[in-house]
Formats: sequence, structure tokens, C-alpha cells
Amino acid sequence: MYKVVVPGDFISTEVNRAGEGTYVEDGNVYALKYGVVDDRGAIKVVALSGKYMPVNGDVVIGKISEISFPYWIVDIAAPYEARLRKSEFGRGENIDFGNMCEYLDIDDLIVAKVMNVDVMMRIDLALKNEFKMDGIGRLIEVSPTKVPRIIGRSGSMIKLLKDKCNCFIFVAKNGRIWIKGRSADMDIASQTVMKIANEAHTSGLTDRIAQFLDSYKSEKERDKVEE
Amino acid sequence: MKEGKIELIKDGARLSGRGFEELRPIKIEVGVLKRADGSCYFELGDNKAIAAVYGPREMHPRHFQNAKRAVVKYRYNMAPFSVDDRKRPGPDRRSQEISMVSRKALDPVILRELYPKTAIEVYVEVLQSDAGTRTAGINAASVALADAGIPMRDLVSSVAIGKIDGEVVLDLDAKEDNFGEADMPIAMVARTNTITLLQMDGRLKKEEFERGLKLAMNGCRKIYELQKAALVEKYSKNGNGA
Amino acid sequence: MGQEVIEDIRKDYVYDLIENGKRADGRGFLDFRDIVVERDLINKAEGSTRVQIGDTVVLVGVKVEPGTPFPDTPNKGVLMTNAELVPLASPEFESGPPGEDSIELARVVDRGIRGSETIDLEALCIEEGEKVWMVFIDIHTLDNDGNLVDAAALGAITSLLNIDIPYEQYGLTGKDTLHIRDTPVAVTVAEIRGNLLVDPNVAEESAATNKLTVISNVDGSISGLQKSGSTGLTEEMIVKMTEIGIEKAREIREKYLPKI
Repeated sequence: MYKVVVPGDFISTEVNRAGEGTYVEDGNVYALKYGVVDDRGAIKVVALSGKYMPVNGDVVIGKISEISFPYWIVDIAAPYEARLRKSEFGRGENIDFGNMCEYLDIDDLIVAKVMNVDVMMRIDLALKNEFKMDGIGRLIEVSPTKVPRIIGRSGSMIKLLKDKCNCFIFVAKNGRIWIKGRSADMDIASQTVMKIANEAHTSGLTDRIAQFLDSYKSEKERDKVEE
Repeated sequence: MKEGKIELIKDGARLSGRGFEELRPIKIEVGVLKRADGSCYFELGDNKAIAAVYGPREMHPRHFQNAKRAVVKYRYNMAPFSVDDRKRPGPDRRSQEISMVSRKALDPVILRELYPKTAIEVYVEVLQSDAGTRTAGINAASVALADAGIPMRDLVSSVAIGKIDGEVVLDLDAKEDNFGEADMPIAMVARTNTITLLQMDGRLKKEEFERGLKLAMNGCRKIYELQKAALVEKYSKNGNGA
Repeated sequence: MGQEVIEDIRKDYVYDLIENGKRADGRGFLDFRDIVVERDLINKAEGSTRVQIGDTVVLVGVKVEPGTPFPDTPNKGVLMTNAELVPLASPEFESGPPGEDSIELARVVDRGIRGSETIDLEALCIEEGEKVWMVFIDIHTLDNDGNLVDAAALGAITSLLNIDIPYEQYGLTGKDTLHIRDTPVAVTVAEIRGNLLVDPNVAEESAATNKLTVISNVDGSISGLQKSGSTGLTEEMIVKMTEIGIEKAREIREKYLPKI
């Protein structure tokens, strides 16, 4: 079990190790957020709830909320909307005010990369290769603070999930998770993701999830057995 | 405040049997609402308050945005059935003032500069009232803000002191508030002993005020410990943190 | 959090499940989520009930106070129902004067109680044309995960039972309880692509083409109906929906309400 702290809790006197989720005052390190302490490297407080704040390089799942030439306005589950410039489709394309919606329409879901966040909190996006989600599969949403747990140390958790559930699973930085696969496989994959999110503050999680998935046979495996 | 015709202290004891420096029983639950980003249920004696936090999210209307920091919105609202005579639904001057001072009690601990142009919305519903609802609301809101993952320097705790039958006592109930001589709610940042809300209603001698302030600050420290324990409790069980 | 964003894909998910005869939480089409009814939590109110259906929570309080009768019914008490969709309960609710959804919620609950003549309003007359008892039903939503109407209606009728009229508090002489003659229960039936299901959650509500709230009484009669939704319903469908509504109401009444 990790140590749970609340804002203002004293954590340490080692001010030069103070990391994310902490602040330093009067030579002490205090918690800035409600969460669990991780002091394996820098002293950090990992929050267990909170909104997504975009950072350059993040890959996110967004939803087109508005078309405002020459931009698409994109909801990325952050306190701010992001924008996608029409030139993202290449200079050769003849995109004008009237046909923007033929490329991306309101409510379309996209995979995009955060290219820039300026001081006015204007956020520019770039399209990723497989950007269009076309309503295939399932989208679930968790607090972005749980994303590192769902991915796991060097991707161990997500690899376990993909293998066991035989699904395509894409975890975006903003807490939106795209799952594609057969219906029963998607059911177990979504269930497991929610379980990881709910137990993100506990230790020994990878082992427990492995156990949880141990008895599950993906539909593909079951087909094989029947053959 | 009505005339003190009721005897509030009999044979050296309060009518409720509480000591002069004793709080009413307190119950705190964290994360009680599904839809909110953070929430808290807070009971102080017969007061029942619930707080929800949404955000930070886009500020509407836009011209209320602050380009440098988040704007905290605070809505204190009483349910029509929370008091003896039904309260007309909706805001009135009293609830608007309470909303404002409560917001200002919390503002100093929130790192608003991390979320320019946004709103952090705090909604407090008083479901049952028995004097001290604003303090119950602030206590609930402070925990709900932490639960929503909002970066804060500290938690804020709040309680009132009052004067009844010439004695300075902690945490007035409704009868004591109605027939007492003074009521003074405060809110405090426990770690730094900083007062972020101070109001007074009635009449206190300077010496009484100073003693009352100390008493209220002590009360806040006790509440702070309970707020902290409730938050830690939420994640002390496995699989309860959704 | 951000529920509205993923609404479309979730709608597809809801359709997908429904067409396979399933619901996201594993319920059958005609199953309610777990219902928890707690009475008398607010001692400032003459009657109060917290109703939880799944993750939906409403708190209903009833206050009884003396007041002036309406000129056209000088010998009758007054029933007033009010609902507040407070912004605490959902990211979609906003502060301000009651919007059309809260007005509809209050009026549907009110209609069920009024239509069934649940409250003996004549018994609430203190002095004809001058003074009568006014019964205020206040519905306070706390968490909206769909089907507020059924929760609010169950909270309202539960709160009205066993109310002592507060004569003494208002310096009046007398002693009586509020006379309750029926126990109307609301059941909302949602239609999603031709399938009928009860007790829709928020995702199902947004996917539903139509909803019909059926308020029915002890004798199986109907005392309130409200259709909402974007298309028309056939007669056959409406009859089926009311049958489901009445049947489910009977089950809920048996389980959660005393015999009158």
C-alpha cells in the first residue's frame, strides 16, 4: 500500500528531490495534491483524480466540436479546447470553408498529437496516421491520472491486456481508451481497464490483474479449442 | 439574534450536554457523488451538507474568464425543506453573501494560476440546517476540492464560536444561535494557522473575542484531522477509488 | 467526467447491446437497478425520503404549513410540487431559475399525486376561505444517472406517508395526520429501436427514441402519463408500455410501500 497524502501534508525535508505534485516552503516538501507518494526517484505525489492538462508531444483522442475556418475545434477532455489547422491534410488539398466537414465533421473522433500549448492556453494539434476512429470499437474514459497505471512499467500492463483479451487497445494521454476487438473480448478488456483504474492506488496490481485475466480465454482461443 | 429569554446554560452545562469547548459529532464521507469530479458529505450535529466540485472546465460566459488564473465559483444553496419554515427555492441575499465569503475562504489555498481562463465550480447543498451551515459547507467543499484532484497548498477547515449566557463556547447549535449573544464563524488553513474567513454577529468583549478566536482555531484543527482521516480512508480500501 | 463527449460512441454501444438483448450493467430489459429507500433523514421536514436507484439519488422533503386557500377552492388545502435540478447533481445542470426539465419533473410527480387524489385536500381546510394547510413537496436531485422521475415520485409518495400535521408548531389546536388514500408509483419505460426497457440510466436515456412515464395506483388505474422523445409511438407500443409500467409499479409498491 502506498502512503496516501492530502494537500499540505509534510512529506520530507529533502527539498532538492521535490518533484511533481509537491511544493516547497520553509525548507520542507509538502503535498500539493491528494494522492499517493512515490519517492523512488524524485519525491512525487501521484494524484488519483483530476483533469487532463495538455503537454507537447502527448497523443490524445479528441472529438470535433466545431468547425471554424481554417480550424477544426477539438474537445480533448481538457479544460481547454484544442484546434486542428486545415493544413494538417496537406497543402495539395483544396479545403475551403464549405467542404471542411467532408474531411472531418462535428462529432468525429480523432487521434492527434499535441504540437504546441501557448501561454494563452491555445492548443495546436497534429493528426496521427491512423487518426480516424470511425465509430469502430469502444471508447472508455478514465481519469488521466490513471493512464500510467494502465500502461504499466515499460508497458507491462497494457501488453498483458492486449495479449489476454486479444484486442487492439490504444490508451491516449487524456484518459480516453479505444478498444477494438470481438464483443466478448471488448467486454473483458473494458472491465479490466476499469478495475485497474479503480485500484490504481494499490500495490501488486499487475499480479492481481494477471490473476484476474488468467482464466479468461479470448474468443479466438475458444474458437481454436472448438476446432 | 433574539432576546436571550431561554436559559442556555444550566448548572454549568449546555442544553445539549456538550462541554464549552466541545464540537458536535462530525461525520465525513468522500466521493459520494458519481457525476461530480469531486464530492464530500459533511455532517455537523444536525447539519447535513453535501459539496460537489466540477472542473477546472471552460469558463462560461467567456467574458468572465481571467487570462491568468482559474475563477472559483461557489454556490451555497439551502434545500427548501432544510429549515423549520420552508425556504423559498433559489438564491437570496443571505445565500449570495455566504457563497462569496466561502469562496474567499478557499481561494487562497487553490493554485488558481495553473488553470488560466477556467472555472473551478463548487456547489454546496445544505440538506438540513441547524446553525453553522456555512462552516459545514466550507469543510465539505475543501475536501471535495481535494477529491477532484485540484492542486491546493492546504485544506481549509471551518467552525464557529459564540457567546451564550455570558460564556464563550464552541460550535453553536440552532437554539444557541437564536438566543445567544454572539456568533462568530471562522475558516482556517490548519498548517499555517491562517484565517481565511472571519465574520461576527452580535456582541463580544475584546477579551471574549480573543478567547473565542483561539477556541475556534482549536476547533478547526480538530476538524482538519477528521477531514484528513476521511480522505486517507477513501484510498485505504482496495478498489474504491473510481 | 466528460460523459457527453463520448455520447455518440456510447449510443452505438447501447444499441449494439440492446440488439443483442443485453444492457451495459447486465440487467434484463424489465429490471430496475437496485432501489434503496430511506425515510425521515431530515427532521426539519414533516416527511422526507432519500431514494437511490442505481447511482441516481434524489432527496424529497415535504413541509406542511398554514396558508391561504385559492379563491376557487376555499375549502381545500393546497398541494405544491417543486423540483430543483441543482448543478451539484450533474455536469449538465446549471444554476439559475428552474428550466423546462425541472418544471416537467415537478409537474409529472405532482400530476400523479393530484390525479389519484392521494391527498384528501378537503381534510386540510382549517377555516374556509381563510386558512388551509399547504403541502409542499420539494424534490432535490443529488446525483443524476438517469430516471429522475421514478426516483422523485417514489420519494414523494414515501414522504407523504405518516405525516403529523404540525398544529402545535403554528399555535393551532388540533391533532391529525395527513390522510393518504393511494400510493401512486411512476415507472418510466424507454423505447430504444423498438425494444422496451424500464429504468433507463443516463446513457440509455440519451440513446432512447422515446420515453413514457406511467404513474399508476393501487387499483391498477393510471393517474399520470408523460411522453417524451423525438418520434411518434404506435397505439400498440403505447399499450405495451403502459402495461409494463403498471406491472412494474405493482412490484415496486409491494416491495417499498406499505398497504393503505
